[in-house]
Amino acid sequence: MLKRTLRLAALFALVLLMPGLAFAQPKEKVTISALPFISTAPIFIAKERGYFDAEGIDLDIKIFNAAQAVAVAVASGDADFGITAFTGGFFNLAGKGALKVIAAQSREEPGYNFVAYVASKKAYEAGFRSPKDFAGKSVAITTVGSSFHYNLGMLADKYNFKLDSVQMKPVQSIPNMMAALSGGQVDATILPANNALKLEEDGTGKIIGWVHEHTLWQLGALFASSKIVKEKRPLVERFVRAYQKGLADYAAAFLAKDSQGNRMIGEKALALMPALEKWVQPKPSIDTVKIAANYMDPQGRLLVKNIYDQVAWNQAQGMVDKSVKAEDFIDLSFVKGHFDVPKK
Amino acid sequence: MPEVAKNTVAFRGGGFVPGTRRWAPWLAFLVIIACWETASQLRWLPALFMPAPSEVVQALHALLVDGKLVAHIVASLKRIVSGWILGSLAGITLGFMMGIFVLARSVGLPIVSALFPIPKIALLPLFILWFGIGEPSKVATIALGVFFPTVVSAFSAVDNVPRNLIRMAQSFGLSTRMIVFKVILPGAMPGILAGFRISSSIALILVVAAEMIGADTGIGAFVLAAGNLMQIDQLIGGVVLLSLLGLGVSALLSIAEKIVLRWR
Amino acid sequence: MQVVLEDVGYAYGDLPVLEGVGFAVAEGETAVLIGPSGCGKSTLLNLIGGLLPQQTGRISTLGTPPAGCLNPLTFVFQDFALLPWRSVAGNVALALEHHRLGRAEQQARIAEVLKLCGLSDFADALPKQLSGGMRQRVGIARAIAVKPAVMLMDEPLSALDAQTRELLMEDLISIWARERTTTLYVTHNLNEAVRLADQVVVLSRRPGRIKRIVSIPVPVAERMKPEHAALVKNLHDELWSLIKAEAQVADREMQHA
Repeated sequence: MLKRTLRLAALFALVLLMPGLAFAQPKEKVTISALPFISTAPIFIAKERGYFDAEGIDLDIKIFNAAQAVAVAVASGDADFGITAFTGGFFNLAGKGALKVIAAQSREEPGYNFVAYVASKKAYEAGFRSPKDFAGKSVAITTVGSSFHYNLGMLADKYNFKLDSVQMKPVQSIPNMMAALSGGQVDATILPANNALKLEEDGTGKIIGWVHEHTLWQLGALFASSKIVKEKRPLVERFVRAYQKGLADYAAAFLAKDSQGNRMIGEKALALMPALEKWVQPKPSIDTVKIAANYMDPQGRLLVKNIYDQVAWNQAQGMVDKSVKAEDFIDLSFVKGHFDVPKK
Repeated sequence: MPEVAKNTVAFRGGGFVPGTRRWAPWLAFLVIIACWETASQLRWLPALFMPAPSEVVQALHALLVDGKLVAHIVASLKRIVSGWILGSLAGITLGFMMGIFVLARSVGLPIVSALFPIPKIALLPLFILWFGIGEPSKVATIALGVFFPTVVSAFSAVDNVPRNLIRMAQSFGLSTRMIVFKVILPGAMPGILAGFRISSSIALILVVAAEMIGADTGIGAFVLAAGNLMQIDQLIGGVVLLSLLGLGVSALLSIAEKIVLRWR
Repeated sequence: MQVVLEDVGYAYGDLPVLEGVGFAVAEGETAVLIGPSGCGKSTLLNLIGGLLPQQTGRISTLGTPPAGCLNPLTFVFQDFALLPWRSVAGNVALALEHHRLGRAEQQARIAEVLKLCGLSDFADALPKQLSGGMRQRVGIARAIAVKPAVMLMDEPLSALDAQTRELLMEDLISIWARERTTTLYVTHNLNEAVRLADQVVVLSRRPGRIKRIVSIPVPVAERMKPEHAALVKNLHDELWSLIKAEAQVADREMQHA
């Protein structure tokens, strides 16, 4: 009898303490499509640390294995949110009005090694030492319109060589790119840090530069279906808040530097490992995370102008429809303080 | 004379006659495309998932104007034709040996049966290691895909050459070599040509897989890139190109059959 | 050339089809082999022609083939065995091509045999365009083109209708009159035997043994004259009485699949 009274009292206290949250509003079911990579870490962290729960969101993470599929899942209505890298395909989908970019994911930031230009041993020995000299070289990329393709495009613009003079070899996947370079079938490729270091370790490739040393750009974003942005604005706002908390934790754990500018991976990083181990494929160790953890804006702010540039570049290559306008698929209202916002 | 009922016998043997209506397939195509276009114009089909036929035509036209269309077709045809010829020659040779020599049959049949069902696309990474990412790996993919069905069809075509013709040739003292070239080869032509229909379709199917690796021109590479870029109109345009190519090949084979199999 | 069989036997695995068959066919003579279905007639012919390996006994030829003979033992088949993709002339040419005759002689031989067989107007026709009788004429033309010493005819007329058979028998008789080839002729048709044979070899049911050898004293060319009608009739009846009982049994027998 006493037990029962106590329980009732506890319940009563809860109702008093959490007005309007747990009871008046049952948690909303929300789905996000994502890749099982460290670049999705803020979502994983926010989920595991209960930041979404605190915002009244019951988040279901759907894992895909290609950036394309992540965007298609949102466009087709199978997911409410998505988080992945920009590609030509992404812009074409976004241009159809099915999704809105709302916050930043990875970007190239000075001092943070993320994606490397790798020369084959042979090309390196023949004098290929700088990303300025890509003209006339053969380069393995995943696909036409991929971020690797865009990296080359930016280099071509910056160092005044013709992109046409680079022989692009689309080979569909990163393992194929590594195989093509190791086998000496291409002069160069562009790889994420862990893959690039692996090639250097094997002695088949040589890193000749990092992307952030040459071109800075916004790699990816958090986006939502246009429908949910229009119809459930408060939900999107809550979602972004939880995401930002995840981002902040991520930045504090993996992006901090000491006075010499070296990255510090310490207690905070270790504390986040269980969340990453649960979601990231293949299962990461603290050492792999140390290499692969890429820069993300701690508040989710976008390099807006760069996204406009990306769209324009893709259009110039004939890969994105001329009718696509970046301003139509970016919604700047969920995050404050975006960078380089072009004036209308 | 008593009245006798006299009835004209009614015809009751109609129908069940095999035949074709030349206009029927064209009409069916037209109706399907017209319905599709109408549904798109009325926005019953979401543009995101299914572009209108007119958009597909526009995409192809744009490609034709900037000259890439011809480049894609030429690049793919080169791979298809060389892969198909290689695979067919090797397949017919092995199929003939299996049809003629008991030992070749006993050894070849289980091996072919074991290797035939391997999806050639799964072997793509292996081909990159063996042949690189240039033309050889693409041609090899198609050649291997063509090889196995050709072995099977050549083998059964040889098997179907009437034994009495071979005995006749033996009774006139023809050597084995002469029997192969004068009796078995022409006698197996119907089966081999039927096999060509299948193997040429396989070559067309495999060109997409073959061009996954290191190709920037070719219909397969074009379709893949359109898929990656979510350019659905171009994607369908590429698929239409492939099926037109298929129709063209089928028409060529029909002509070849008419000439080679005039005697049937 | 003469054909001699001594104590010939043959078995397919455990199934004996021929036992102790011995007879001889003199040069220029026609021996007709008759017997109930499955008595090994065709097997015997294939043994003589070298299309089956000899097992027991011995089959041999005596004498030398005539001048110009390219293929001493030559078959004419029941199903004609024409290459459907070759024209009439082409089918005849098949038998000649590998003998390096020279183009002129090959053409001359083809023209000659086509004329002999009444096929001159059909040289370029394909087999599918010809009637059964004309197709077998092509088969016969192909055989005589190689100037055979021995013709081995395996039921050559049994795929044809009765009228065509009559016509072809007349053709055969006139060809034999010219060429004087030795002939072994398998049939189950007693009319053909009575009309064409110099000797009729009657085989028993499986395993085939020689039941009787009947010689016919009247030359083939004169056999249809009215004065021989009674003899022909008697021969026919005699042969029928020899094989009737066995034909009945054979008819009721289950097929060995």
